[in-house]
Amino acid sequence: MQKLKAWQRFRQSTKRAWSEWEYLVLDIETSGLDAKQDRIVSVGWVCIRNGTIELDSARHIVLDSAKIGDSVGIHMITDSDVQQQGKRQESVLRYLRHLLRERILVMHHAPMELGFLKQAWQAEALPTFSVSWLDTLAIERTKAHRSQQPIQEGGFRLGACRERYGLPEYQGHDALTDALATAELLLAQIAYQGHDCRLQDLNQMGGGRVKFTTR
Amino acid sequence: MAAIDIPEVHKFIETIPPFSSLNLLERKQVLTGVSMLYVRQGQTLVLTGEAATVHLIRRGACEIRTPKGGLVDQIADGECFGVSSVMAQNPDGLQVVAMEDSLVYRFNKTHFMQTLEKSEAFGLFFEYTQHNRLRKLSRRQSNELASPALQLSTPVAHIMTRQLILASPEETVQTIAMRMTEARVSSILVVEAERLLGIVTDRDLRSRILALGGSADTLIKDMMTLDPVSLPPDSLVMQAQTLMSESNIHHLPIVDEDKKAVGMLTAADLLRHQELSPLLLINQIHRQQSIDSLANVCKQWPTLIINLIVTDMKPVDVGKVLATVSDNLTRRVIELALDKLGPAPMAFQFLVFGSQARRDQSLGSDQDNGLMLEREPTTAESQYFAELSEFICQGLALCGIRLCPGNIMASNPEWRRTQAGWQQAFSTWIKSSAPSALLHASIFFDIRCVYGSEAPVLALIAAMQREVNKNSVFLATLTRAALATKPPLGFFRHFLLESSGEHKHQLDLKHQGLALINDLARLYGLSCQTYRVATLDRIEQAIREKLISVDTARNLIDAWDKLNGLRLEAQRRHWQATGKASAYLDPKDLSSLERKHLKTTFSIISDVQDVAQQRFLRGYS
Repeated sequence: MQKLKAWQRFRQSTKRAWSEWEYLVLDIETSGLDAKQDRIVSVGWVCIRNGTIELDSARHIVLDSAKIGDSVGIHMITDSDVQQQGKRQESVLRYLRHLLRERILVMHHAPMELGFLKQAWQAEALPTFSVSWLDTLAIERTKAHRSQQPIQEGGFRLGACRERYGLPEYQGHDALTDALATAELLLAQIAYQGHDCRLQDLNQMGGGRVKFTTR
Repeated sequence: MAAIDIPEVHKFIETIPPFSSLNLLERKQVLTGVSMLYVRQGQTLVLTGEAATVHLIRRGACEIRTPKGGLVDQIADGECFGVSSVMAQNPDGLQVVAMEDSLVYRFNKTHFMQTLEKSEAFGLFFEYTQHNRLRKLSRRQSNELASPALQLSTPVAHIMTRQLILASPEETVQTIAMRMTEARVSSILVVEAERLLGIVTDRDLRSRILALGGSADTLIKDMMTLDPVSLPPDSLVMQAQTLMSESNIHHLPIVDEDKKAVGMLTAADLLRHQELSPLLLINQIHRQQSIDSLANVCKQWPTLIINLIVTDMKPVDVGKVLATVSDNLTRRVIELALDKLGPAPMAFQFLVFGSQARRDQSLGSDQDNGLMLEREPTTAESQYFAELSEFICQGLALCGIRLCPGNIMASNPEWRRTQAGWQQAFSTWIKSSAPSALLHASIFFDIRCVYGSEAPVLALIAAMQREVNKNSVFLATLTRAALATKPPLGFFRHFLLESSGEHKHQLDLKHQGLALINDLARLYGLSCQTYRVATLDRIEQAIREKLISVDTARNLIDAWDKLNGLRLEAQRRHWQATGKASAYLDPKDLSSLERKHLKTTFSIISDVQDVAQQRFLRGYS
């Protein structure tokens, strides 16, 4: 009953304007594509408040448990980076959980990122935690579907989506840059929805709620 | 609040003046508390409360408008707005409207102010931006001349009066008063053996003779101003103006090295020069009695054009004004020719083609003209018209309208024809699809009568238009020609530039832009029922006759306006720097917003070319 009320309260509140909410836009770099085998190498995030991206909130953290090896070429993080500035995965996840208490989690291509987060949650045996999320890729796909404008293969990649909104091309592809790039994309998508865009609308286009559990 | 450490943000800021002048620490400070927003096209930004601060456009374009909606500035990537709300005590309430979807950095006011105080160069830059914008604001409001310095640096020889009224020192006050009245001048120069001795003005006659009860028989030498203030002919207008106001005089004799009087400059001349206007120039043109004096008056022509450009007159209006002046000049030259050679043996029309016909002349346009005769001339009559035409074309050339390098001029016997002869020529071109016919189409099919009765010319045009309308093969050929040159769309991205010569890395606005629109407009214009000669009128007519969609046409009109504006501005810049006209544009002279506009402009031309292909080439290609 308690849960149902909380859920209803949440449902009700999603009818408020999107800008009344705070968002944490996250990108993670991994050592591979398989959440079961591969590990999180670094995380980057930036927050949105009052409808604007707060650049001060941007963080880029390299995890110390990362084994680099072959993926150096992709994200340019070296073993020495990890040794010098590496953080324990557990503390990073705890920090994230703290930040996400009052915020909506935003990612580009959520299934992948959520898969890794779930896996990490289990590995660190952290307490169960639920969060609402938005996926800018899913929002883009719904938008294309609604307007019946087919998008070519590769057209849902972050860079391609950004191009459609006239957003600049970023050179770097680390977790921080991609998080900022995703945050800008979200603002652009929202701007195209119109002034009265509600969180509910975004949720319907590409969002949901996820539960991180120990098992 | 922590310092921002996002490489992409730093990378951008580093390249943008004045941020580029800051060291890393200062840059971190100014970036503290920065937020980013995304503004949709058409949205107005309200700069109040926390938003009343400096914004930097990361990507996009915005307009700055007065509270009443007047345009102050257009800015794009790497430029700032909201400066006045930080710099000035009284924000001026300027509005910011996004012209494109824009990604914008919003600075934290406190941190921004601290940086302003710490870094002098940084502060100065924004003061300048602010000042510059206010200047633009006042310029838009008062429409003042942007370049008074330009006029002040003209040599007095250009504006002085050369027809001098002279007197000898032994003449009486009575006789010179009569001569002055007759010549309607307010001063007379007293000379002896051509050397300037003195001056007598209206005011002298009043205060030194009438007011004192002096006699009408008083000799000039006893009442003139001896050895008056004077200047050599190469002094600048500014020097003359300063001297006249310091000495409190209204008449300034201009003398050469030998003290010989060569001209007279009056306060009225100065005033007229400052207000150099098309009307005054036309007035002067009609007063001149010889080609030489006409040529002298026409030296003001480039200055007039430049004045029109710097006053932000719309390109289409600049074209109309210039056409009016050159039509009047042409008529005056014809009148002078008739004065010299005697009346013509038959009625004739003077035809102009090309840019003068279309009313889109600019600096350095050359002549394209011809004669239409009432009937076939006899040998003697032929000779008369040959001389007449020669006089007119050479006269126009002396007045600054260059001879046509392709010899499309009345002085060429080929282009002196009867109405039937012209009709025959047009018929041949329309039936033929030879390349030379198309070259002629681009010149002769833009046609206007500037002297003589208009009716036969209108009849010729109507017949030509009917014939074109019947001949879809000719329209198809014309279309292929109009599509042969593509706008340089890849110009900025791939640097498809003029690969060699003087204009390497420059864009030819006339041949790569305007000419393409003129060609398209001519194509549509000729397929209309009603003939129009000006490019914009042709497009409007095509809308009226439903040959082109309103949207497509309006885009093309905007594109023409934009390109013409850029061409005039490029010409002005080039003229002032080198004294030569050039429609070449260096992309470095453009702001990123202008570059973006130009790209859009080119893509509009390309779109209309596609539309024209669909309409006129279906079944032919």
